[in-house]
Amino acid sequence: MAGRDYLGEFEHIIVLALLRLDDRAYGVTVRQEIELRTHREVSIGAIYATLDRLEAKGYVKSHLGDPTPERGGRSKRFFHVTPKGVAAVNRIHRVLQSMTEGLDVLRSYS
Amino acid sequence: MMSQASVPPPRFAMWLLGLFTVGTEGESIVGDLHEEYSQLALKSEYGVARIWYWRQALKTVVHLYGMGFRGAPWSTTAVIVGGFLLMRFVSGLPDMMLSAVTDRYLTYWSEHFRAYVWMLNGMAIAHPIAMIFVGGLVAFVAKGRELVATITLALALSILVGVAVLWVGAHGLIGITWILWSCADPLAIMAGGIIVRTRRSLAASLPSRA
Repeated sequence: MAGRDYLGEFEHIIVLALLRLDDRAYGVTVRQEIELRTHREVSIGAIYATLDRLEAKGYVKSHLGDPTPERGGRSKRFFHVTPKGVAAVNRIHRVLQSMTEGLDVLRSYS
Repeated sequence: MMSQASVPPPRFAMWLLGLFTVGTEGESIVGDLHEEYSQLALKSEYGVARIWYWRQALKTVVHLYGMGFRGAPWSTTAVIVGGFLLMRFVSGLPDMMLSAVTDRYLTYWSEHFRAYVWMLNGMAIAHPIAMIFVGGLVAFVAKGRELVATITLALALSILVGVAVLWVGAHGLIGITWILWSCADPLAIMAGGIIVRTRRSLAASLPSRA
């Protein structure tokens, strides 16, 4: 991995959530997906702070949807992963796979 | 069961969020919280939904503060340093004015001592007003990061005041009035920031209403 071109743990989780949600990925669904799968409470502020960082790195792009009444007339901001983001996730998975190969992680260290 | 229209989120929490959110991103964050709050209020108790909203709002404010600072660290720092220097200059002005006036009308004060005491109390009010002015000016310059700049300046001042209180406390007696008086400055700086931010939010919302 070169320089700062990597994903932190929470960034990685968010990119994976965006990939799972596909075109339904916005603040609420991303937050709920992460809480459902990681069982950890996450604030919407933490999600947006991380998405902001990911967008600055070029891993994620966003666009605004139409305003809806259940949101008090405010727009949804939809997110999607860019090819650069997908490449970063793949790279991390390859690294993790390579590092855990031959290790009986669950049995030895749990 | 409540209808979505009957469950507006806590107003004060929304106002607090509004102080830190800017533009379309801010709108999305407030909208997301509104949507989830409505869902939660339909599924569970109204109180549970309110507590959830408050918890989310407070955590989000902390993140937004960090985001605001990281977004423009150098310009925000420059504004804070400028505000600190301005504060050092402005904080002495009420006392200088008092000295100038008392020196000029010395005979008058000796005959009207109660008026002199009243003026001293007036100067005590002038000091926080001067700090509100400093906070307002800092917020005016730090457009979009009004509260980030004023809170950081207030925190820096609080740390200095805390150190001073400890130092004075270690070297003699200090009165509770003095401690409370010292806390007024950081609060006044934040009040200045809140005033400017609220004015800007109101001005921004006016065209959409029309």
